[in-house]
Amino acid sequence: MKTFKLPGKRKLLITSAVFAALFSQPLLAEVKLNGFASIRGTSVSTDGGLEPFPGFEEGELSFKPESLFAIQAQADLGEGLSATVQLFGEGRNDFDIEARWAYLSYQLNDSHRVSAGRFANPIFHQSEYEKVGYAHNFSRLPKAVYIDFEFSTIEGIALDSQFNLGDYSLATKVLYGGWSGEAFSAVTNNFVDFGMDNIFSANATLAGDWWQLFGGIFATEIDGASIDNSTIFPLAAQGIAMAQNMGATGAQVNDLKSRIGWDGKDAFYWFSGFAIDYNNWLLDFEYVDYVVKDSTDAPNQSWYLALGRRFDNVVVTLHTEDYAQDTDHDFLNGVAHPVLLATGKGINNAFAQREFDGVGLSVRYDFHPSAAIKLDYFNGSDTRPAVGDYEILSFGVDLVF
Amino acid sequence: MKKTLLLSALLLSQLAFAEVAVIVHPSNNNALDEATVAKIFLGREKSFADGKSVVPVSLSETASASSAFNDTVLKKSSSQLKAYWSKLVFTGKGTPPKEITSDEEMIKLVATNPSLIGYVDASKVDASVKVALKF
Repeated sequence: MKTFKLPGKRKLLITSAVFAALFSQPLLAEVKLNGFASIRGTSVSTDGGLEPFPGFEEGELSFKPESLFAIQAQADLGEGLSATVQLFGEGRNDFDIEARWAYLSYQLNDSHRVSAGRFANPIFHQSEYEKVGYAHNFSRLPKAVYIDFEFSTIEGIALDSQFNLGDYSLATKVLYGGWSGEAFSAVTNNFVDFGMDNIFSANATLAGDWWQLFGGIFATEIDGASIDNSTIFPLAAQGIAMAQNMGATGAQVNDLKSRIGWDGKDAFYWFSGFAIDYNNWLLDFEYVDYVVKDSTDAPNQSWYLALGRRFDNVVVTLHTEDYAQDTDHDFLNGVAHPVLLATGKGINNAFAQREFDGVGLSVRYDFHPSAAIKLDYFNGSDTRPAVGDYEILSFGVDLVF
Repeated sequence: MKKTLLLSALLLSQLAFAEVAVIVHPSNNNALDEATVAKIFLGREKSFADGKSVVPVSLSETASASSAFNDTVLKKSSSQLKAYWSKLVFTGKGTPPKEITSDEEMIKLVATNPSLIGYVDASKVDASVKVALKF
């Protein structure tokens, strides 16, 4: 499908309200400050010359694409109420600071907490902390699954719950919200306005001492008039003109447009997987599946598998990942005109053209109580001729405080 | 030479097996096992068995009982523990226990608050607190 870029002008009201709660509290309320940072040098080289992911810089060593800094303030207002703001800047955006999180939370009881405001969208299992490098053993979470969706920050309301089931624990989250921003399309290599309305997501993680099983779903309605008008309909224009010259009626053309467009269509994302940490052996697997239904979007089925070994304060991880898209022409069932049918299929094929896979080796060394050095090498192959085979070499430090 | 080696070995074994005591307020009559204590200190259990809320307090990384507690009860190194809490802190799902720098301070705190649970070097325990578990 596509990746997304932040709009840079989001919901000032929510941010202001949370800031007000943070800094106008009673004098004795406690404000906790925490933060995380990654300083990473990344070198990318591709056979085709185009960077494999937006924000990376092909052909040079740069500290911009994967360095970041965040500071989080949480004010405990008493009786279960708290306010949290996370200020966040990334090298790829010249470290421009944005309020990434800004929400209020209320602990209803020992098991349930409700939060409202601007916070992480748990698209996949590790999406909520994917920028916190210290929290995992990779330099970057496998791109095949964690492809930097920027709708990972949304506005809404969420219920987090925690249950003890004998020796096991079950954590669940349900959420309702919305998002608008800019979408990156690999078809045109451009960003366009995009939105998601009525986001509903639910996920669960069942955990024992040394294992976790997890799964979740995220459904939304696409606000895609802009991507339709700027990307999809222009791609279809030539085919439609040819079809009209060959006798296609206005009704047939409108029918095609309603089929190929994304606006108002439903999108579904789901994930499942497991994590094992046993006797210093680590095994992680996550499979994800997502699509904008009944449109030209190509269904994604992507996954990664990682095997790691912990040696005291060093963790070595070998992983493989696969970002795969399918062509699915069912949305064109009933289109009679052969040129209109071919046009619809062609756009769907274009959206499915980008696939990539590869193998990575990561080494983490906890050299300090709050910091880890990481070295990472990834060798991949992208089906877009402009990218082709590629290598990413990175080194850096992740820290938390 | 042999005596020195023997003495060193004895000292090391003493260090390795220095006991850690999990302590609660003297009025706390809840039975606690290692698994429950681990859940409390990992933020997965918020109440004692009698339903009263529990607040865990940790010793700072420099305290001798800290790494023994983390290794034996929580089964995590201090880095693993920090990574674990990073996932929770930066997603709003939890905050790590407050850290106390000394055994003496820990005993003083637990002795005055029935909600607290802490741990100290077992040799430092006095009558002002109850030992819920020793290992």
